[in-house]
Amino acid sequence: MATLSLQHIDKIYDNNVQAVFDFNLDVKDGELIVLVGPSGCGKSTTLRMVAGLEDISNGHLFLDGKDITQTPAKDRDMAMVFQSYALYGHMTIYENMAFSLTLRKEDPNVIHKKVLAAAEILGLTSQLNKKPAQLSGGQRQRVAMGRSIVRNPKVFLFDEPLSNLDAKLRGATRREILLLHKRLQATMLYVTHDQTEALTLADRIVCMSMGHVQQVGTPLELYDSPNNVFVASFIGLPPMNFYDVKVVGGELQGNGFKAVLTPEEKAVLAGYEGKEITLGVRPENFTEGSDIKVTVTNNENLGMNTLVYGSVGNTGVKVTAKLKGWKNYKVGDTASFSITRKHFFDKETTNAIRGGK
Amino acid sequence: MSMSNEDRLIKRDRMRYIKNKSSANLAYLAILLDVIYFVSIYQSDVETWYYRWIIGISIVYNLIFMLAAFLSSEGVKNYQKNYTFVELALGVIQFVRIFILPVPAYNATLTVGDVTIQIMHSAQFTLCVVCLIASGVCLIVSGVINYIKCNELAAHMKSLENQNA
Repeated sequence: MATLSLQHIDKIYDNNVQAVFDFNLDVKDGELIVLVGPSGCGKSTTLRMVAGLEDISNGHLFLDGKDITQTPAKDRDMAMVFQSYALYGHMTIYENMAFSLTLRKEDPNVIHKKVLAAAEILGLTSQLNKKPAQLSGGQRQRVAMGRSIVRNPKVFLFDEPLSNLDAKLRGATRREILLLHKRLQATMLYVTHDQTEALTLADRIVCMSMGHVQQVGTPLELYDSPNNVFVASFIGLPPMNFYDVKVVGGELQGNGFKAVLTPEEKAVLAGYEGKEITLGVRPENFTEGSDIKVTVTNNENLGMNTLVYGSVGNTGVKVTAKLKGWKNYKVGDTASFSITRKHFFDKETTNAIRGGK
Repeated sequence: MSMSNEDRLIKRDRMRYIKNKSSANLAYLAILLDVIYFVSIYQSDVETWYYRWIIGISIVYNLIFMLAAFLSSEGVKNYQKNYTFVELALGVIQFVRIFILPVPAYNATLTVGDVTIQIMHSAQFTLCVVCLIASGVCLIVSGVINYIKCNELAAHMKSLENQNA
């Protein structure tokens, strides 16, 4: 397999619109990197630049240490799996999977071996004589992956491959991709706007917004220590709650509530005494307690957990709490919550406040 | 270059997923050659010689031939052994057809006043005969290839069944 290095990459279109700004990333051999972000953030553009389907305006792309910035797509030894599968409807699954190798005029017997091996890995052996129209969406996506596998490329590129599938199938196919990655130990770049896919699949996540990389890190790092408000709000479901608070003495004063700071938190906020900051609280970091009184507006039981939606007193400040167990709050009830974990962000820069770290 | 046993086995196994394109393509070629024959056979300055019951039969047979040959091409594409015999029959009939229209037309003359006119000229005759022979050969070769491949595939499938049993 291969290492991939993206250095200071920009994408500027002919109409001077810049889609990607100074993108830097080193992908290790066998690593699965997920590019995540909202629509239009430049993640697919970045992937297409790596594939060679878009020109790189500035910067350099290295594959195994070799500069391939100007190398045509066909010579990059990368395989791409698209959201739309891009299968040939008139060909059988076998022919679809063998197609790229047939074009390269490989020995038919070698092609046969590779196709059967890929079909075995993907559980498609019994489907090889069928046409794509006879398969489900998940099976079609597996065929698209199989078409990539037979080429034995240095890097696999996935462009939102699960977006066309329903929720159940998406979960199953996601697990298959993960198993495939473990089995092939291949270097993979995976683009998605679905944070669940990102968190479950990635060795490392690249979170993007408006063409800029916001944070690169492991799923836990992005979830637990987001770099800024954008990453904090994008990663996690339901999203993080944000409150404007003032640091006064040993506590945070918000609109309608106060929260006491621990000694460690005080140390982190040492430079912010008397200033306003943004407090971030994940829904799962609320527990039933006494810090914040919330007027319940909705109660959703999810079995293991309950989502409680409300506002702080009559201030209109929204709260979403994810409580363990089955709760039965009624609309208009007053619920009291405590905060078990707080995230602090600079109000001006929106960057995380990490004290001396 | 000699083929190893493994290569031979893989080649047979490929037939499970790859259609018998060689046989099918030969059948298509046979249809094309028949069309060329049919289009060229009635080209004549002497208009009345062909106006007999044979012209109707010839037209109807050509339609039947094209349909049967096309169905056969689809059949052999999917390794259906029965279509081998249809192709062989169609191929043999193509040879017979040489003696039904082209040869009599080539030998026939018509006297208008004191001028004797040959119904079919040599070049036209040659084209018609070549098309029919080539069409017949294509069908027979297609049938033979299909027969051999069907037997190989059947034997291979049986061996796979035995392995799985």
